[in-house]
Amino acid sequence: MASQRVLPQSKETLLQNYNKRLKDDIRSILDNFTEIIKTAKIEDETQVSRATQGEQDHYEMHVRAANIVRAGESLMKLVSDLKQFLILNDFPSVNDAITLQNQQLRSLQEECDKKLTSLRDEIAIDLYELEEEYYSSSYSLWDGTDLPLCEAYRRRDSWASPASGSALAQDDREDLDGPPSQETNSQHHLNGHGAMEKP
Amino acid sequence: MANERLRALEDVEKEIATTLQCAGNVLLELSKDKHNASFLDRQLAQFQSSVNRVENELNGQIRYLTQVATGQPHEGSTYSARKDCQMALNRAEYAKVKLGELERTCEIMLDQSM
Repeated sequence: MASQRVLPQSKETLLQNYNKRLKDDIRSILDNFTEIIKTAKIEDETQVSRATQGEQDHYEMHVRAANIVRAGESLMKLVSDLKQFLILNDFPSVNDAITLQNQQLRSLQEECDKKLTSLRDEIAIDLYELEEEYYSSSYSLWDGTDLPLCEAYRRRDSWASPASGSALAQDDREDLDGPPSQETNSQHHLNGHGAMEKP
Repeated sequence: MANERLRALEDVEKEIATTLQCAGNVLLELSKDKHNASFLDRQLAQFQSSVNRVENELNGQIRYLTQVATGQPHEGSTYSARKDCQMALNRAEYAKVKLGELERTCEIMLDQSM
């Protein structure tokens, strides 16, 4: 991989700025710490009185300690900026994260659909029996145009074998005529018989 | 991979805090009348190693970013997979609602027949 890349000016400037901040902050921490240690050394000969020198050293140590803390906080800010830059511009890891997330979501979707499909197959069997039970009872209120599932299967079977079903076909035609309550069912049978008896 | 780099940066933050802590301990020990020399040496060594680790790690991160940064915005997204997954979960929820209705209907019919 080439170490020299032509980056847009803003990105290159930003990264150079990060480098500069890092060097400045580390230098600030080390220099100020070293100076505090040097200032802590007690000297016998001073240009001003010991009290004044002590006061001056005290103030200098305060300022240098504050500088160390400021440099530490600046380093924390730099780390935060680097994290942000990494999240936005580290394309290899962003691509990996997107691929992984897509894989997880797709596998969840496939599992969900697979379970729904198997549920559908199981429910279809039970629903067939339920409909047969319901539509053959006195509670059903269907009209001939809206076929229940069991009736649809029965008709499909009768279409599949036409030779066996002239009476059956007649019953089916009669069923289309009216609502299939128990009383009307008996009427259908009567009509069917009546139709058969007519010349 | 992204998590490792971010985790490394979080470790750097802890290292910076350790650096300042060690510097404070050294100065605190120097302020006492009687110094513990071994403690001073340990804290000083830890301070120097922490500063070096911070500098090396951050230099490495900036070098890596110089190599991979393109200046263009990333246009990838997980929206389509997320939408498909959400629709699958909606289908499952709908099936659950319908099964609940069927169950209630069957219970009512059973109660009426008894």
